[in-house]
Amino acid sequence: MSRRRRRARFVWNAVGIAAFVVMVFPVFWMISTAFKPDDEINRLKPTWIPFHPTLTHFRDAVNRPFFWVDVKNSLIIVVVTLVLSMTLAFLAAVALAKFRFTGRKLFIVLMIGIQMLPPAGLIIPLYVVLARYHQTNALTGVIVTYMTFVLPFSVWTLRGFIIGIPRDLEEAAMVDGSSRLGAFVRILLPLVAPGLVATSVFAFITTWNEYIFANVLLTDQSKQTVTVWLSYFYGTSRHTDWGALMAGSTLTAIPVVVFFLLVQRKIAFGLTAGAVKA
Amino acid sequence: MRARIIVAALLTAAVAAAASTAATAASKASAAKSITVWLQTDAQADNWKPIVAAANAQFEAAHPGVTVNVQYQTWGAHLQKFDATLAGGTAPDVIEMGNTEMTKYMAAGAFQDISSSKSSLPNSDSWLQGLALSGRYGGKLYGVPYYAGSRVVTYRTDLFKKAGLKVPTTLAQFQAFGAKLAKGQPKGFSPVYIAGTDWYFAMSFVFDYGGGIATQVSGKWKSLLASPKSVAGLTAYKTFFNAVSKASKTTDESHPNPYDVYAQGQAGSIIGPAWFSCCVGKQYTGVTGQFVVPSHTKGQVIPGFLGGSDLAVPLGGDKALGVDWIAAYTSTQSEKALQAIGNIPNSTALTNASKINERAATRSWFVPTAKNWVNVENGNILRNMLAQILTGKLSVRQAAASAGDNIESILNG
Amino acid sequence: MTEPLPDRAAGAAETTSPSWSRRRQPLTRARAFRISVPYLLIFPVVAAIAVILGYPLYNLVKLSFEKYGLFELIRHSGTWVGLDNYSSVLHDPVFWHTLLRTAVFTVVNVGLSIGIGTLLALLLVRVSAWVRILLTAGLVLVWSMPVVVAVQVWYWMTNFQNGVVNYALTQLRIGDYEQHDWYATTFSQLGMVTTLIVWGAVPFIVVTVYAGLAQVPSELVEAAEVDGARPWRVFLDVTFPILKPIFLILTSLSIIWDFGVFTQPYLLIEQSRIHASNFLMAIYLFEEGYFKSDFGRGAAISILMLVMVAGMSVFYVRRMVRMGDVE
Repeated sequence: MSRRRRRARFVWNAVGIAAFVVMVFPVFWMISTAFKPDDEINRLKPTWIPFHPTLTHFRDAVNRPFFWVDVKNSLIIVVVTLVLSMTLAFLAAVALAKFRFTGRKLFIVLMIGIQMLPPAGLIIPLYVVLARYHQTNALTGVIVTYMTFVLPFSVWTLRGFIIGIPRDLEEAAMVDGSSRLGAFVRILLPLVAPGLVATSVFAFITTWNEYIFANVLLTDQSKQTVTVWLSYFYGTSRHTDWGALMAGSTLTAIPVVVFFLLVQRKIAFGLTAGAVKA
Repeated sequence: MRARIIVAALLTAAVAAAASTAATAASKASAAKSITVWLQTDAQADNWKPIVAAANAQFEAAHPGVTVNVQYQTWGAHLQKFDATLAGGTAPDVIEMGNTEMTKYMAAGAFQDISSSKSSLPNSDSWLQGLALSGRYGGKLYGVPYYAGSRVVTYRTDLFKKAGLKVPTTLAQFQAFGAKLAKGQPKGFSPVYIAGTDWYFAMSFVFDYGGGIATQVSGKWKSLLASPKSVAGLTAYKTFFNAVSKASKTTDESHPNPYDVYAQGQAGSIIGPAWFSCCVGKQYTGVTGQFVVPSHTKGQVIPGFLGGSDLAVPLGGDKALGVDWIAAYTSTQSEKALQAIGNIPNSTALTNASKINERAATRSWFVPTAKNWVNVENGNILRNMLAQILTGKLSVRQAAASAGDNIESILNG
Repeated sequence: MTEPLPDRAAGAAETTSPSWSRRRQPLTRARAFRISVPYLLIFPVVAAIAVILGYPLYNLVKLSFEKYGLFELIRHSGTWVGLDNYSSVLHDPVFWHTLLRTAVFTVVNVGLSIGIGTLLALLLVRVSAWVRILLTAGLVLVWSMPVVVAVQVWYWMTNFQNGVVNYALTQLRIGDYEQHDWYATTFSQLGMVTTLIVWGAVPFIVVTVYAGLAQVPSELVEAAEVDGARPWRVFLDVTFPILKPIFLILTSLSIIWDFGVFTQPYLLIEQSRIHASNFLMAIYLFEEGYFKSDFGRGAAISILMLVMVAGMSVFYVRRMVRMGDVE
């Protein structure tokens, strides 16, 4: 590599590391607080790195009522929502991007329009509808609610990725001459994999972190999601246990990180595939 | 291959979801009956849980086959959830409501009339007047007093001793402590930590000087905030705050919790419920004492806000079972247990003058019993007024007048 | 092969052939299947949304024309008042102040999010592999923080008594920030909310733009660089046109989200500091409609918000729809 290139690379790396430090600091602060003993947390002069780490906060958080049950609930809700939504959204996005049919414009308007609805406005009417079918205080009620919010932007985003695939890549992939719809989809899938993964990660995070609807729809603590479980740490007018709150927060963030680790290889695969094709 | 994985995942997830719903349905069918009780999350504290458990046991013993399902709610969200359940017809059988929240819901007809059961409720002939009022509307009984709270001063006995200070008998004396206690302490130290917008405490000054918030004049609400007496009270509050508190002028009384500030050694004293003494930090537990906030007139206690909760049976709930559960939970034994953990019990038959929080409640004030009062609270009218006064954005008179107009339009609207 | 969208050349051919000749084509089973494919593909999505949101949407519109408070909620029926709710909202000066404040807030947030996100995505391309992994891992960590948690951490970092931000700023001699109240003025409050929202929004933008950058053929970029084009010219002429659909999606989504954002400002500014002087639209909706239990008014505000957001994103949406056609 030329000297100029090496210097440029060095500068970029430095900028990258600085960006990393700034972005990650709040996360670092959360995790660091979770391990600090109480007196260090409350001290005026902040302790940057806990030199006397303790696991008591994690123990306190996990021992709070309903932690494991709520984690299970969150996982069920998120996984089902994700799988159903991605499947349906992908099919719809293919239709939107690749076909011309009457009502196409209307469908697009619907997809965008729904995302513009302020969620707060829908809480009570939605609750009334779900109550009629005994879907309040039930995981399935929350799943269908989340699906209606995840579907529109998934369809919209996936459509953008499908359109964005350069024509020649697509045609090169179709050189096999497969003529069935299934084959068409199967060829398109790897090319749009990065987009699918990005969308599904976002869907995962949105549903995992959602609070307002989960809070109103699930009143039984044994049915609640872990996000609502967290709110009990600071919803009381009594003592806020910052250490336990940060520990609980760290724990709730872990599944998302795990999920991303599982799918990040797909992003990399999609990237290299694109590069090789070019 | 991918398709197969997707299908497998879908099936697994669908089965799991169906199983959980089926389990709910099954449990609903198998339990002969159950009642749902909404209590606030305060009752989940370790020292409070046994009181709830005891009441449940007593109720279930008297009603075999009926289980009690207690669901804990947070103060921030419980009214929106309650509204949703009222709309959907799934309201609980018993609900805990803050006493300032009652009027709005009573006026809307959200609760069942339990006047006929009054005599069967324990100590109902000696309920604390202030609390009992919040459960009545239009001559009928809707809410049963549950517990009350008041405000006292929790202070550092060692710091007071060092500065040669005794328990003050007037506000002016207390105010003068500011300079003496601040000597030798770091910049952010508050001799008396009071959050700027702690309206529960600030309004005590208004009532102490003979002012008020609002009153009904021939059916319409008229604000009293701009009256000379109220303005005198607010001015006294501003002077007091500036002399003794280094807290943020715009923050409320739970961010941060005053006892956290105390535990950090940043406060010479704090004002709040008596149970604050639980959490003053290991190093100060031995040097902590409490006294009641004095009035500006010697020998009197400043009128304190009588906060508290009521228990009611919402529309659609099981009235008979609901009232029985409430009776179990507000029994003499139960109330005595609540008193032991720092609350004021609901009846004068149980009050104990040796308890400092009950002494503080001998003079009290309450909010206007208007059905729209809750909107004034939620709109932070009084808090904003205090922030404007303390930051100097508006003069006391201007801020009080503007808040007063706001309150009038909300209460009359 | 199923019917793909015609490109420009084919499109010309298709439109010149007279419509009567198309009608004369027999409706074979294969042809019927080809026509119905797109409808079959979108049917599940439409069905799911219609079943769940159908009634709530209808109810929302109906409510906006009714007087529906707590009293009516309990009795499950309201009284028709026509446009009274809308009129009351549109005559409320708080509504207009809030609208202006929210518009400015949205522009700032969207601009910062997409700007910073794009810069980071471009940075990701240029750094060594290990820095890329580090930065990506960091972004994932940020992204995985639940919003309610992030708010608590933000509050903790900026709190009046012992926030680490005040400490750091004072130590770095940027000024005396000891016991600085970051939530004293509306500008400062919304500024804090902006930092929180932008921080949380950047990961998604970076991931999406980076995924899009993968679709940019590297030989085009190299060709432009060999020609001596400066980096930002390469970006404008080569990268940006290919990424346009993605930028349009991101901008329209960001506008929609940031205009209607609720959780972050509501929790960070704290319920006790929320006041007409620092309302954002979604908070105004919540306070006026739901906190006051005036559901009819809340519904009217919701519809108005919907109209406004639609108006703001119509430019982008129309571009997106047209782009799909031209392809």
